[in-house]
Amino acid sequence: MHQFAHMADVHLGANRHGKMAELEIGAFVRAMDMCITRKVDFIVISGDLFHVGVPSDLNTVRQAVAKMREVTEHGIPIYAIYGSHDYTPTSTSIIDVIESAGLLTKIVKPQVIDGTLKLECVVDARTGAKLVGISARRMGLEREYYDMLDREELERLDGFKIFAFHSGIDELKPEYLSRMDSIPISLFPKGFDYYAGGHVHQHSEHRLPGYDRIVFPGPLFAGYGRDFEFTAKGERRGFYIVSFDQTVTDVEFVETVLVESMFKEYSLTGLNSARAQDTLAESFGSLDVDGKIVVLKIRGELSGGKTSDIDFVHLQNLLYDRGAVDVHLGRRGLTSADYASIKVAGEDVTIIEERLFKENVGTVHTNIPELQGDSGVKLSLELLRVLKEDKNPAENKKEYEARMIEDALGVLQLKGAFEK
Amino acid sequence: MKRKTSQVASELIKRLDTHLNDESIGNPFFPERGIQPFPLTTDGFKTIQNVDSDKKTAFVDGGNQEVLGAPNFSVQLNRVYFGMWSGNKRIPERSIPKRIEFFAATFSDFERGEIQYSTSLFPLAGEEAILPRERDLSFSSMDRSITVGNQRADIYRVGSISRRFSELVLAKSVVENELAPGDVILLDGTLQTAFPNEYAYLAELSQAAQKKGVILGGLSKTSALFTDTGYSLLGALDKLSAEKGITSEWYYPIADGTSKDHFVFILGVKLNAISERIFRLEIQRDQFLSLDERELNELLTQLVRNSADYTFPGYPYGLIDADRFARVTSSEREHYFAILRSQMAAMGKWEKFYRHVKATDAHNVLNKLG
Amino acid sequence: MTRMEELEIVGQIIAGKVAHILIREKTDTKIELGNLLVAESRNGLLILQVHNLFYGSQVSREVLELTAGLELEGRGGSLEFFDESLRNYVLAEARAVALVSGNRVTIPKALPDFFSSVRHVVNEDLRFMDVPENTAYLGKVRSGSNVLDVPVRLNAQDLFTHHVLIPATTGRGKSNLVKVLLWSVVNDDNLGVLVLDPHDEYYGGRGKELGLSNHPDAKDKVKYYSLAAPAGTNTLVINLKSIMPWHIEELVNLTDPQSEALYGYYFAHKKDKQWIEAIFKDERPENVAPMTAAVLQRKFKTALGLDVNEQGDLICYNRAFSATSGESTLSEMIAALESGMIVVVDTSRLSDKAELLIGSLVINEILTKYQRYKQETGSSGVSKLEDKPVVSIVIEEAPRVLGADVLSQGGDTTYSTVAREGRKFKIGLVAITQLTSVIPTTVLANLNTKIIFGNEMASERNAIISSAAQDLKEDYATIGSLDKGEAIVSSIFTKFAIPIQVPLFDDYVAEYPSRDTSEDKHDIHLKPNRRVV
Repeated sequence: MHQFAHMADVHLGANRHGKMAELEIGAFVRAMDMCITRKVDFIVISGDLFHVGVPSDLNTVRQAVAKMREVTEHGIPIYAIYGSHDYTPTSTSIIDVIESAGLLTKIVKPQVIDGTLKLECVVDARTGAKLVGISARRMGLEREYYDMLDREELERLDGFKIFAFHSGIDELKPEYLSRMDSIPISLFPKGFDYYAGGHVHQHSEHRLPGYDRIVFPGPLFAGYGRDFEFTAKGERRGFYIVSFDQTVTDVEFVETVLVESMFKEYSLTGLNSARAQDTLAESFGSLDVDGKIVVLKIRGELSGGKTSDIDFVHLQNLLYDRGAVDVHLGRRGLTSADYASIKVAGEDVTIIEERLFKENVGTVHTNIPELQGDSGVKLSLELLRVLKEDKNPAENKKEYEARMIEDALGVLQLKGAFEK
Repeated sequence: MKRKTSQVASELIKRLDTHLNDESIGNPFFPERGIQPFPLTTDGFKTIQNVDSDKKTAFVDGGNQEVLGAPNFSVQLNRVYFGMWSGNKRIPERSIPKRIEFFAATFSDFERGEIQYSTSLFPLAGEEAILPRERDLSFSSMDRSITVGNQRADIYRVGSISRRFSELVLAKSVVENELAPGDVILLDGTLQTAFPNEYAYLAELSQAAQKKGVILGGLSKTSALFTDTGYSLLGALDKLSAEKGITSEWYYPIADGTSKDHFVFILGVKLNAISERIFRLEIQRDQFLSLDERELNELLTQLVRNSADYTFPGYPYGLIDADRFARVTSSEREHYFAILRSQMAAMGKWEKFYRHVKATDAHNVLNKLG
Repeated sequence: MTRMEELEIVGQIIAGKVAHILIREKTDTKIELGNLLVAESRNGLLILQVHNLFYGSQVSREVLELTAGLELEGRGGSLEFFDESLRNYVLAEARAVALVSGNRVTIPKALPDFFSSVRHVVNEDLRFMDVPENTAYLGKVRSGSNVLDVPVRLNAQDLFTHHVLIPATTGRGKSNLVKVLLWSVVNDDNLGVLVLDPHDEYYGGRGKELGLSNHPDAKDKVKYYSLAAPAGTNTLVINLKSIMPWHIEELVNLTDPQSEALYGYYFAHKKDKQWIEAIFKDERPENVAPMTAAVLQRKFKTALGLDVNEQGDLICYNRAFSATSGESTLSEMIAALESGMIVVVDTSRLSDKAELLIGSLVINEILTKYQRYKQETGSSGVSKLEDKPVVSIVIEEAPRVLGADVLSQGGDTTYSTVAREGRKFKIGLVAITQLTSVIPTTVLANLNTKIIFGNEMASERNAIISSAAQDLKEDYATIGSLDKGEAIVSSIFTKFAIPIQVPLFDDYVAEYPSRDTSEDKHDIHLKPNRRVV
């Protein structure tokens, strides 16, 4: 009987400040410790171990590497693939660095022969399990690899085999992710004992005809962005420990989250901005947020005043003062009746746009200076202008799309970054 | 007292029967002078020998209908047509038009103490040169050749004379322009002249034919001829041929005519073996006498070959064809009537003409009453 | 020399009346049923279509019969028909279908000049039909059995929004037509098509016949869903959460208490949407009797192949439905249609009901969305619907959802709603059927283009003719004589009922610049020395 651990989407570095950063690396460390305690035979990481391919915060990296060293010294090999975040086009990602230090093994071993993509498998010495994987690329571009993949050859492999991937699957996407780029299951080789997935930030186990076990572990911690909301609503975070001999005998989900979350929704419809502010402040004052990650959703239509009249920063601080570990305030669903009248008053559209961007640029969490402050506003306006362009009658949809992308990349000074 | 129809029929048939003499067929009887009949015997039949040739036969026929009529005028549409054949093949014409059409308008005038008819011709199609002369179409209304009994001649009859003359004129033109020596020109009907001035036209035709070496003939569909025992002449021939047991085509010399009005040799002919019909064929006398047996058979072979159409075996298709294309139908008559009428109305003359038309119109009215 | 003088005269107009113009055929030319003939007049070219042929003769019938008897019995001897071709001939009966003057085409209202000569139609006469901007290709104009080099193309948006009926008995080539038509509109971004494919014949691939998958742009413009999905295509699996009670009501006969019970379960699970599972897990809402619940279970079992196993888990024998996967399938299909793609759903392994349910799910969704778009105005000030592509649904054996008995029993279905009102919302139907007579005339009247294939059945021909866009009364015989691949297009968008020859799909496709499949693997995105990371 053997065991392996399957985790993904750790996104180390997504949370960079204070307690959140601690919690993030803490979850990883905890997971690794559990692997050691449970004496797993190997670990499979299905991409996005790091939040970016070249992390700037080396403290997190140091801690992660130290843990991985410990795991390796216990005789537990780590197998990994790139995710959509921690890859670089030139194989100079942090993953590669760690691999060259002998602390993990990339199991993506591709060869293009006659236009077909052949994958060499990595054999785990102790268990004889065969591992094969396809890394991700941005925006689901890994689809091309799947199109070229020599499935028949992989299907002919015998023994216990694992297919690692970092992609959404068309047939398994939840409804709210229907817009996400994903790959039809028919492009995967059939008959593998275990499909170790990543990229989907919710844990789930699936079965489709020909594909017995497709598993997504989800992030160890909260991931980033929307994940917090799900966690707060009760989504469990962790990784899988899979038992097998000839075939999989057991699949166990192991939780790793170390902190509580809470979720609350507010509707401000019918209130003017001043009253809204007061209402929120009052409510925040009574919430039990100590030691928790707080996820709030504010929506509705203010009867008077602008949404920017409400001092959300102050309100957030109220919560921090009461011990909240992290506060996520989502107010996309909040509008103001006054906004409509502003438009009608005949002000120049560009002035309105600029104002809107100015008001909201602060709410975007980013560490890229070009996207912050005035520069960010300028960039946004420019991008908006480019994307507003209509399709020429002479061009078809494909050409229009291509032109849009090219122009947008130009604005973001990323021309050539996606050169294929 | 009402009698049963079957009884009446039976009496009628008995009476007819006594008059139909089936026993002795006698010999051909011609009331006119100058015709010498030949005896009717079973030995008189001559089988038509097949003689191949590429000679042509031209068939001429005409048709007419009164378009507008009154006791004192008659407007008739006349049409004459010719077609040429060599055996069963149609031969296209070279130069002259196939069809001549014209209106003949005949009027009555009071002249020299008598009602005089005169005709004017108005060609519609074809060449003016192939029309009879108008002066030949003037007669006294009491001319014996056109009266019926001792009644004044119907003006309608005068109109139809122009048709007959134009057939002869067209035939002459055909002979001169389309036929070669040895060819035949065949008219529908006999070569006997009946109307005043008709002889002149026939003579012109006959001269032209003899000059060109084209045989002139006429074939009659019907015959009112008798034998001297009261038998129908063609019926007698039929009986005789049955007795003789002839199964192929044949000809039978019937009479030799030497009078000026009827200078022909008359034959009875059967032009198809399975046909039951016998026709009277007349050939210009001098020309007939100059034919040797081979030439005669050659001529008759052409006719036999031309008489092989399914629709009327034994009758030359050339005459069927000519009849069809020369015919003026009732619908055409009505068509032209309408044109004349509207033209008259446009010229403000209809009232004037109609006054006269009413006199003969009673028929039409009665017809319409159904 | 005029065209008429250059080209061979084949006949002359001699009599007749409107729609029954008699033409005498010239000897040794052959006029056929369905031939398009042209008479030149001062006002332009008059196009006539032959719909009947009969013998004419100058000889009376009795004589003809006698003659034939003589010949047959060998007693004719030397007799023959003189002037045979003059006296025995063929008469064609035709109707004037179009008057072409330059590029203007009108319906003729006067008789052609008496005694006009007619000739066969040639390509140049019909140039007005070739409208390159129109993408929907149906075939080439056919005159009798002769195919002209004039393509028949219709405007795809017009064609599909005004619905299409394809009546045909088996083996006449209707599937071939649908394939050709779909191929021609693959690249039309303003048109999305959902194809319910019960014989799995439209996509091709897998070493089978050619299909839409062979189109050079198939990768981006054609989606395929199947239970046995070949690599690169989508597995057909729809989550039960996508199914609403009204979908079931359309599909299965339910009594009032059963319907109420259904909604009872639905409302009880409004949030998690697992109402169907609830029916099987015996989680009865209060007002539902145990008997009713049992009946519902049974009906779902039959209709969708659902059941519970020993462990109490819901299993879907019909693999097209699942409680655990396929949540996004419906959204993806809709998104594909909204972006002008063709979505082919292989329903060959599904029951009738399952197939119709899937269609109904998609249509309902699209209809709702499009109804909303119509009411909302976009940035340019007009309704959002203006920017959306037309969506059409291809469904075979249409009487299942459009038949009179179906509609009278269960009332309007999604499909009949689309047939009646879909045009307002840019949603259309392509209904394929063997039996036209069972579809009510009120529905037929809305199917404004009929692509009519051969049909021997009198009742069917009559039903088709009586609902066609043009007067096809005289084509009764012609419809019976249509060979495989021959059809008549009768549409409100065609000036007259156009006879066409649909090309064989394989031949049609061969004219396309083919996708060089070797190029594919070295696809343009990947140069050989680029590393796959």
